[in-house]
Amino acid sequence: MGFIFEGFSTALQLLLDGHPETWSAVAATVCVSSLSICVTVLLGAPLGFLLGYCRFPGRRAMRLCVDTLLSFPTVVIGLMVYGFISRSGPLGGFGLLFTLQGIALGQVLLGMPIVIAMVANAVENADDRLQMTLLTLGASGRQQLHATLWEVRYHLMLASVAAYGRIVSEVGISMMVGGNIKWHTRTITTAIALETGKGEFAMGVALGLVLLLIAFGVNIAVSGLKRRAAR
Amino acid sequence: MKKLIALLLFMTLVFPVAAMAEKPVLMMATTTSTDNTGLLDVLKPAFESDTGIDLRWTAVGTGKALAMGKNCDVDVLLVHAPASEKKFVEEGYGTDRTQLMYNDFVIVGPVADPAKVKGMSVSDALKTIAGSATPFCSRGDNSGTHKKELSLWKASGMPVPEKDAWYIQTGQGMLPTINMASEKNAYTMTDRGTFIKYAASHNGNPPMVVLVEGDGVLFNQYSAMAVNTKNCPQAKYDLAMKFIDWMAAPGTQKLIGDFKLMGKQLFTPNAGK
Amino acid sequence: MTALYACSNLLQHYNGRPVLSVDALSIQPGSITGVAGPNGSGKSTLMRILAFLEMPRQGRIVFDGVPVAGREARGGTEPAVLRKQATLLTQEPYLLRRTVADNVAYGLRVRGVARTETRVALALEEVGLVPAEFMSRQWYELSGGEAQRVALAARIVLEPRVLLLDEPTSSLDEESAERIRAAALHMREKHGCTLVIVSHDREWLSSVADSMITMRAGHMLP
Repeated sequence: MGFIFEGFSTALQLLLDGHPETWSAVAATVCVSSLSICVTVLLGAPLGFLLGYCRFPGRRAMRLCVDTLLSFPTVVIGLMVYGFISRSGPLGGFGLLFTLQGIALGQVLLGMPIVIAMVANAVENADDRLQMTLLTLGASGRQQLHATLWEVRYHLMLASVAAYGRIVSEVGISMMVGGNIKWHTRTITTAIALETGKGEFAMGVALGLVLLLIAFGVNIAVSGLKRRAAR
Repeated sequence: MKKLIALLLFMTLVFPVAAMAEKPVLMMATTTSTDNTGLLDVLKPAFESDTGIDLRWTAVGTGKALAMGKNCDVDVLLVHAPASEKKFVEEGYGTDRTQLMYNDFVIVGPVADPAKVKGMSVSDALKTIAGSATPFCSRGDNSGTHKKELSLWKASGMPVPEKDAWYIQTGQGMLPTINMASEKNAYTMTDRGTFIKYAASHNGNPPMVVLVEGDGVLFNQYSAMAVNTKNCPQAKYDLAMKFIDWMAAPGTQKLIGDFKLMGKQLFTPNAGK
Repeated sequence: MTALYACSNLLQHYNGRPVLSVDALSIQPGSITGVAGPNGSGKSTLMRILAFLEMPRQGRIVFDGVPVAGREARGGTEPAVLRKQATLLTQEPYLLRRTVADNVAYGLRVRGVARTETRVALALEEVGLVPAEFMSRQWYELSGGEAQRVALAARIVLEPRVLLLDEPTSSLDEESAERIRAAALHMREKHGCTLVIVSHDREWLSSVADSMITMRAGHMLP
């Protein structure tokens, strides 16, 4: 039990003393999760719009697939991405293994179903008159996409926050694809796994708290945007 | 907003690339024991200042480390499973296997020693534990340590007690396994490094103690291997060889021997012996 | 004078249920066509077809001399291009979740018009809303009548060739209704805009319309 309380003071110490290993992991985490969430939203939002708006055969099956992918275990995503970007894999030539970009690739796969499912849902549940209004005012397909995403911006933001939460806290992909390489691809979550394996439980708790602090900061920023969006 | 996103994307794409030093990078797969004990943290800067090579490693189970070598994802391996290593070399995936150092395993158990195995040979101790059906925790995760434990059962002339109720396969790391053994009043086999850390975390009064040690079969040989360029043309063989030669050099060997964890020596260098 | 719309043998089904069947309909440019009939008689379907928001299952439409529906229309004008010429206002309009000014300017922006402020202000004045007061209001800060007038302003600002009004005044206070009627009629006077108006207010409709259509059960009565 004691290590939990010890974790709190250790967390403060790590951050205030400028513990270089911790700050390196913080930088890696912030870096890779920002990249992942940007790509996830930029790709996921239009796909979510298409899935929620277009009527095509197999659409229900596809929605079912996306909803199922929400439960994709991160370790399996990690394994699949590893299989592709391993030097012996089909994308091996890009040298993505053991890089933050490689981790981001897996995290995009992790976050995408969340954004697609939530945006598709929001677009489906948006007022029927919205699309008719956009069309009769002369919007083209692409303008329709932009205007609809702007109309459901609140839901898009919720989707992004949910996806970010999953991305920033995952460990399976970062471990498998990033390799937990000190100073390079060691993120907070893989550092937690490492410290826990070493029996440094307090350190693990402390790093967990640091991760929560980052998530807290992101959510504060988003809630500011949310308020502005609602106005 | 768009500008902000673009800036973020740019920074996150470029930052890791920019952060990469121009130094040549040697990628190594190794086992958790070398990383967790902190040995590599001592060796890395010395290697870098001697050769100018940036050593990076990923610490995984032996099985995964070998798989990464097979898939050409690393250039050099530092592992401790001699039988698997020899097979790896024979199958053409690795070359230049060089023994570097060893540490040892110990059998630990509750202070009360319910099966009375203290001071026995490994083979006698395991027979006694099995005979009395006293609980025994096994890693059960196909790690180097797990493989070692399996080989000990075989060496004692017994089948692995895979299905016996007293044989608990934890599927977890070494430290959680020791903790579990302590909770269950069971025996387990561990590398000495992890046990030193475990004992230290109990302020010198641990509920588990070393009962069997020093038996020749408990030595744990670490070797380095270069990934075979016939299998992996892109592997950095020259860098790998520099690392292996450097590890076997007298200066480094002394460094390894001097490395202490909680004031205790962990690794015994034995390159060229 | 050639008709702006020349439709023949229009047929529309929803899930196999016939909702509209029009043998012949022609609308002259710059005219006002009144459409009357009970609920569910196919008026709104006809309006959506005239606004190019849906295509009839069968039949032929020639718009401004160009076939746009029917066999010879295959591979012809894109609906998106046609929609820039005709715009529809329904009974309960949808306002985008933005300011009044952005709502009114939306159609101009998708047409690539850069400076919209003056035109937006003029359109708002046209429907009787003081620009200085309403431009920066949010979509949820409007009464029903004001919302409907903003929606109309968003359409007349486009100076469309055809303005289709589907019961635009039926749930409004008298002042808003009057403003909307006046603004619509003014559009024809000023820009020669063709109007098609569905309304329950038969008396007013027949007083302004050049021709009247009465619908019943999907058919046009002679």
